[in-house]
Order: sequence, then C-alpha cells, then structure tokens
Amino acid sequence: MHLALGSASLIMLVPYLWALTASVKSRAEIFTPTPQWWPRAWQWSNYVDVFRYAPFEIYFLNTLIVVLGILAVQLITITLAGFAFARLQFRYREALFYLFLIQMMLPIHAVIVPNYLTIKSLGLLNTQLAMMLPFWASGYGTFLMRQAFRQIPAELEEAALLDGCTGLRLLWSIMIPQVRPVLLAFSLISVVTHWNDFLWPLIVTDTPRVRTLTIGLAMFVQQESGADWTLLMAATVMVTAPLLVAFLFLQRRFVESFMYAGLR
Amino acid sequence: MRRTRLRSWRLGVAGLLIGLLVTTAVGAPGPRLVRLTFYYPVGVAGPLARVIDEMVAEFNRQTPDVEVVAVYSGDYDPTMQKVQTAVMAGNPPDIAIVEISEMPTLLAMNAIIPLDFYARAEGREWLRDFFPAFLQNSYSDGRFYAVPFQRSTPVLYWNKDAFKEVGLDPETPPATWEDLEDYAKRLVKRDAAGGVQRWGVTISGGWNDWLFEAFVRQNGGVLLDYGRRQLRLDSPEAVEALRFWVRLTNELKVAPPHSTWASTPPDFVAGRTAMLYHSTGILTFLKNSARFPFGVAFLPRKKQYAVEVGGGNFYVFEKIPKAHQDAAWRFIRWMVTPERAARWSMASGYIAVRRSAYEVPAMKEFVTKNPEYLVAREQLRYAYGKIMAPNFQRLREILKRALDDATGGRVRPEVALRRAQEEAEQALGAWLKR
Amino acid sequence: MAHSRASWRGQGGAQAFLYLLPSLLFLAIFTYWPMLRAIAMSLLEWNLSRPEPVFAGLRNYATLLADPVFHLVLRNTAMLAAVAIPISIALGLVLAILLNEPLGFLRGVYRAAVFYPTMIPMAAAAMLWVWLFNPSIGLVNYYLGKLGLPRVEWLYDMTWALPAVMISWIWKNVGYLTILYLAGLQAVPTELLEAASVEGAGFWQRVRYVTLPFLGPTTVFVVVVSLINSFQVFDAVHIMTQGGPADRSNVLVYFLYQQAFRFWDIGVASALTAFFVAGLLVFVVFVVGQMERGVFYEV
Repeated sequence: MHLALGSASLIMLVPYLWALTASVKSRAEIFTPTPQWWPRAWQWSNYVDVFRYAPFEIYFLNTLIVVLGILAVQLITITLAGFAFARLQFRYREALFYLFLIQMMLPIHAVIVPNYLTIKSLGLLNTQLAMMLPFWASGYGTFLMRQAFRQIPAELEEAALLDGCTGLRLLWSIMIPQVRPVLLAFSLISVVTHWNDFLWPLIVTDTPRVRTLTIGLAMFVQQESGADWTLLMAATVMVTAPLLVAFLFLQRRFVESFMYAGLR
Repeated sequence: MRRTRLRSWRLGVAGLLIGLLVTTAVGAPGPRLVRLTFYYPVGVAGPLARVIDEMVAEFNRQTPDVEVVAVYSGDYDPTMQKVQTAVMAGNPPDIAIVEISEMPTLLAMNAIIPLDFYARAEGREWLRDFFPAFLQNSYSDGRFYAVPFQRSTPVLYWNKDAFKEVGLDPETPPATWEDLEDYAKRLVKRDAAGGVQRWGVTISGGWNDWLFEAFVRQNGGVLLDYGRRQLRLDSPEAVEALRFWVRLTNELKVAPPHSTWASTPPDFVAGRTAMLYHSTGILTFLKNSARFPFGVAFLPRKKQYAVEVGGGNFYVFEKIPKAHQDAAWRFIRWMVTPERAARWSMASGYIAVRRSAYEVPAMKEFVTKNPEYLVAREQLRYAYGKIMAPNFQRLREILKRALDDATGGRVRPEVALRRAQEEAEQALGAWLKR
Repeated sequence: MAHSRASWRGQGGAQAFLYLLPSLLFLAIFTYWPMLRAIAMSLLEWNLSRPEPVFAGLRNYATLLADPVFHLVLRNTAMLAAVAIPISIALGLVLAILLNEPLGFLRGVYRAAVFYPTMIPMAAAAMLWVWLFNPSIGLVNYYLGKLGLPRVEWLYDMTWALPAVMISWIWKNVGYLTILYLAGLQAVPTELLEAASVEGAGFWQRVRYVTLPFLGPTTVFVVVVSLINSFQVFDAVHIMTQGGPADRSNVLVYFLYQQAFRFWDIGVASALTAFFVAGLLVFVVFVVGQMERGVFYEV
C-alpha cells in the first residue's frame, strides 16, 4: 500500500524537484552528461536574475488583478442566477437552465476567434478587462449555487418571509450565509483555474504592461530558451510558487473544494 | 458583526480593483513630446533583449523630445503575430523589427510606410554604406521600406576538439558537400546500444527552411523569385538538396532529423553535435558558453558558395501621426549609425549592417582579437536576398512540413517538395505568375 | 423534487429576469453569439489575401476537408483522447482507492504529492517536462539509459512528440481525477465492504465486486470531464512542440490558433470553429440529457 503510494508520490514530485535543483545551479553545471541531483554550488542569484530579464512583478500584479476581477463579478452573477433557478418560479426556467449547463461544457477554447473579434470591436484588446469578460458568467458556478440553495430548508425561508424579509435583502442576509462554504469552494476553484489561464490571455494581450504570469513565463522561455535552463527553471518555480504555497497551507480546503465540486 | 465585516471587506476589494483598473487603463502621461512604441524580437540565443534596452535607454537620454518604449515580443514568429494583431486592432506600434521575409505581408496589409523620402534626405552615401545583400529584402516595386538592423547569414560552426579527436585537421572545415558528408561520418559517435552520443552535423530545425534555401542556392537553384513572382519548390536542384539532407539524416544517420532553432546551440556547446548549421547571431553566445575551441566557416558549397541573408529589418507603420514617423526615423537612423551598428554586432554576432561600422576603432580592435566575427561578413559576397512573399507564414509552414516529413523518413523528397509546391501555389493564389 | 413555496412568487418573473440578467448578458455575448457568428463567418473568404470579406459559400469547409494537416490534427486529437484518458482515469482510480485506506498522517503527504500539479499552470508543467525530455541532459533519457532502454529524441521525434505531450498532460491531470474518485468513493457503503471482508474477500476482490459498481456515476463524470479537457489541449503543445515535428503533435485547438493567429485566415478558422462547436454541442446535449436524469434521481 505505502509502497505503491510512495512510489506514485515520488514520480509526481520528481519533475518539480528536478526543476528546483536546476534553478539553483550555475549554467555550466547543467551541461553534464550524467544528471547531478545535488548542485555543487548553490546559485540563488538565478532568482534575482529572472527579474532583470522580465518584469515578473508586473506579471504577478496583473495575474492578481485579473483573477480577483473575474472572481468578484462571478460571485455576483452565480449567486443571483443560482438563487433564481433554485427558488424562483418563472416561465422557461428549465430551458434557460439548459443554456447554463451547456456553457459549462463548452470550453472557451472553441470560440476564441469570434470572441477575439468581439473584444477587438469593443476596443478592449490588450487590457486586463479583456482577460476577464468572457468568464464573468459561469454555468458551472450557477449550477453549484443552484444545488446549494436547494439544500436550504424551506422553513428558514418561510420564517424570514413572515418577518417581512424579501428580495435582495432575503438573499443577502439569510440565504448567502447559508451557502458560504460553497461560495468559498467555488472561489478557490475559480482562482486556481484562472490563475492558470493561457490561450485566451495569449491572444488578447500583447505588451508586458498587461501580461500575466503564465504568458510571461512562456515569453521568457522564448527569450532564453535552451540558452539558460537555470533561469528558465527559476522562472518556472517562481511562477508556480504563489499557488503552491497557498496550497501547502490550505491543503485541506483546496482538496475539499475540488472534491465538493466533483460530488455536485 | 460578521455580516458588516464581510460587506466592508468586499467593498474594499471592489474599490481597490476599480482603482487599479482605472490607473492601468489611463496610464501615466509622460513629460516627453513624442512617445514611440517599438516592438522587437530576439531571434537568437543570449541576453540580447538587455542590450536593446540599454541602447534604447541611451537614445532616450540623448533625445529629450522623443521617448521610445521598447517592447520585447518574443521570437520572430510571435513578433510578427503581435504586430499583425496590433495592426488589425487599429493600434499599430510606431516601429518594429520584423523578420525580413514579412515585408510583402506587411505591404498587403497596408501596414508600413515607404521610407524613400527619409533615406534620400540622408544623402546618397547613406544607403550605399549598407551591404548590398542586406538591401535586397528592402525594396518592393522600386520603393524602399525596410532598414536593415539585425542581419545575419547562416554559418558552419565546428568543434575543433572533436575534429582532433577523430584525426581531422582542426583548422580545416569542410569546404564541399562531399567533405561535409565525409567529416560527419567520422565525427559521429555512437554508444554501445547504437544510440547517438554525438551527431556529426546538425542542420538546425526551426528555421530549416532558411537553411534549405542556402543549400538550394549552393546547388544552383532558386526557390522563389520575388521580382518575377515565380515559385519553384520542386526544381531538380531543390530535390537534390533535400535528398542530400535525407541521406545525412536517414541513410547515414549522422545528422538528427529534427530539432529546434533554440535547442541546437546548447547541443553544440554540450558537445552533442560536432558541426552546426546556424545563424552568425549566436556567435557571442557560443563564445561565452563553449569550453572548447571552435571555428566558424562558410557553408560548404556544391556548385558554388551561396547563402541567404536573414534577420530583421526596421519598419515604420502607417496610421501613426507624421510627428511619430519623423521621430521614428530619428530613432532608426540613430540605431544604425556606425557606432551602434558596431556595438550591436559585437554584442550578438550579427553582421554590422554598414561598411563604415567596421572602421569604428572599437570594432577594428574587436575583430582583430576575434576574427570569427568577420566570417559571416566575408560570406556576404556569396549572399542573396531571402525568400519573401505575401502570406509568408503559410509558405514557410508548407516548406518546413515538407522538409520535416522528408528528413523524418515519412515521405520521399521529390514527393514532399511536389506537394509543397502545389500547396504553396494555392496559398499564394493570384500573386504568383504561372 | 423540491418545488419551493409558490405563494409570494407572483412577481417571480420580473425578479428572476433581473437576477438572471447579468449572467445571460455575458453568456449571450461570449458564448452563444460567438457560435452564431462563427457559423456566419465560416461562409466568408476572409484572410490576408482578401482583407475585405467576400461570400464564399462552403468553400472554407472544402478547404479544410481537403487539407491533409486537418486530418492529421483530427487523428492526433483522437489519439490523445483515446490513449491519455483511459490511462489517467485508471491511474486516478487506483490512487484514489489506495488513498481511501487508513494511512495515518502520511495520507496528507501522499495526497498533496498527487494533487499539487492541479495547482500549477499547464504551461509551467509543460516547461518542467521540456526540461525532463531534453534528449541530451534530461532525466527521462538518463533513466531510460540506466534501464537499458534506447534513448528517444522525444520532442524532436515524429513518433514520440505526441506521447511526450500526453505524458505531461496525464501527469498534470491525474491528481484532479484522483480527487474526483475520492469524492465518489465516499458513497460506497462501508457496511458492504466490511461484510465482504468478513466473508474472506481479499483487498482487490472487494474493490472489484463492491467498490467499482458504486463508482458508475463518478466514472461517467470523470470521462466527460476528461474528454472535454482533452479537446482543449493547447498550452502543452505551444510550449513543448509547437505542433511539430511536421504537425505530428498538432491538435485541434493549436491548429485553430495557427489558422486564426498565424495565418490570419479568419474564414477557415471560423469553419473550424463551427465544426468544433457542432461536435461539442452534439456531445454536450447528449451528456446533459443523461446527467439531468441522474441529478433528478439523486435529489
């Protein structure tokens, strides 16, 4: 049991560990025919050098802005929509819900060309906003919220109604606190997903001013590709560090969020 | 209470976000008069982006009424993509260095302005100072569009220690295709299992279309005549050249069938290939990284010595205000002054684009100490303009696929090239004259 | 099914419309309108040689169907799905079953080790694997050599470039699938497992006869998620091989990217989009139909 899991864990860890060791080696050390695990001379300056080659601090800021921007609006749209589907009666409710379900499974990768043209006509190419807009409606989030709202016992709602609490106030004061764990789970998933966005930011942004971490890493690869693996690995480690550190501290939360999403 | 804290926290985040969005969207207005965006690629290995940044910073210091904002945009292909995106979005950069074969595409997009007026204002000697081979990709219909900047030819690098090891004279590189084949057979090193430890020669992939052009020229053929708009990808000379490649990669197995432009210089440094076909632009990188003596040579000839030029030119874009165009010219002119051209060449290995650059004292001293930097320049007397056509990206893909399929042993050379010819004729459409 | 209180929902229509408006707005602009637009644009000839679009009927589709690269791309995408998905699902299942056993504090460690790749961008994962797959100084070839196996050129080899991409994709996704299966495993009633072991069933027998049958719905979900993911592979190809050599690792989304943003052939790219979307829609509508039935049963 432990043998199997241990070896599996090792295999999963090796790529990252190998990158870590490479990131602190000196360039000359890389070209040895037999790979050395332990660096002969620890060269931490690689991490500093990475910043000299590309403004990763700007990339980090942009990623943060985009991810939070997406999440902020998503929370609003999915809560409202999820509540409507769960608790309100209206015509075409089922049909409209299908629209959301379908979106859940339609990857943005399929429609990048028309969306690119839309962003272009809106004059929003090369902005952070462009990286956020297509994600503001989330079929997935709406689905989760609908499920969550459905779980709330009807008596709670009725009690609130008797107190004269309706509409948005009902939503805000009573319903949302009940579904906070789900919102949290969704938030974690959304942050991880959009932190790692690649294709869409690639085609709607051009300049370092709005570039995100993943694109910054890819461009850095082109810049130093082959020439300096130590820098490349240092950059890779740095780009992945924020989420991994968060993961180490909040492991249980992250895992539970993704598990919850799976349970539906 | 928990509720209010949550609310104010949310408002705080929202406010922060809005604030950040507004500042980044509006941007900080600069004190300069004219601000130019300048997209540039780095097409070869090495920290050359930093050199460009330094040169741009120096220009900005010297010219208080112009500020150039340099934007590194990747390799040649991604840079062209970014330029096209920007042009299509109605937001072109003011200046860009783009790979020389893209000029017809840029023209078809009405993206660039002719520079005859500016060039003439510099006097007759100005243009004449550039090496003529470099100007061959600057003209279309008699008008001048592109100023050479980072220009190169392919060269042959050889590992002198490896030569000594197998009993070859370390100072004599192969001069003909036959020599190349011969040397490569002796230089290749295999291990016990038959895998290759060291290749005899590597014809670098990634831009193998560029290298293939040279081989075809060496064999006396031409792939595309821009002036006459004629395309012959499947001429007998081309087929013979590709057959030679396939012989090296598949029959003799002394050359790797596939590689990338960025992977082969480190391979050479690591001793994984004894000879390398690559751009002169990696010379500085090799000098800084290789721990063995190596040589730089002309590409071996078949019927004649021949190479294509390569690299990137400066373009100035349409739809920018006249003040920007004027300022852009000042920047370009500054970047190609003999001193700057010399500096750029020394930092990279690219050929200095002007003859007078080689008269600059620092450069004279440099090439005396490092004669390898002159090899590519010497090769210029055998140099031709590079293939260029509208929709070049597609043409390049078609050609590369044919080459890769053939060296991979999947398709016979004549079939691959014939197919490529058909596909290319379709892609170039009405532009070609049959 | 919980149809909630009806009484005060008289104004349900207006209120619901208001609540749904933001979502519907973005769905319309960025999901549904693009689909229609793609179909419309696919009928135009619109590329670098023709900057002003011209009606061209079904010519773009004909061009696509005649393009040997397109067929190669379809084949590669299908192969990736057919090979990488079963492998990753099998691995995910086995790991989940193992992780579900009592393991003490080490479980957290194993789980972290298996799941952490989900936290890093596919682009970064691809970088790690480019480094590992380097033919001269990469770990993979080194260990292959030690095991006496032949060295492979990996990303530069026409046969092995796609498998290399697959390996990095599997590595990245296994953790996520493991977690999904772990969630599904919670639904397996422990009494049955205990009863089985009392009757003398071994570990793997218990798995086969008790656990697996309960994992049906989870497996369906896992397969669907993996399929959709596999059609979207882009980052790894962009970083590792750029579709090469000779398009042997070119996949659907990367091909789309090339048509649209390298060759700027909007007409053909739109035809490809329409084709992609149509396929997805068929698949999705089928799945959604199944799912809704399942959901209704649960609640």
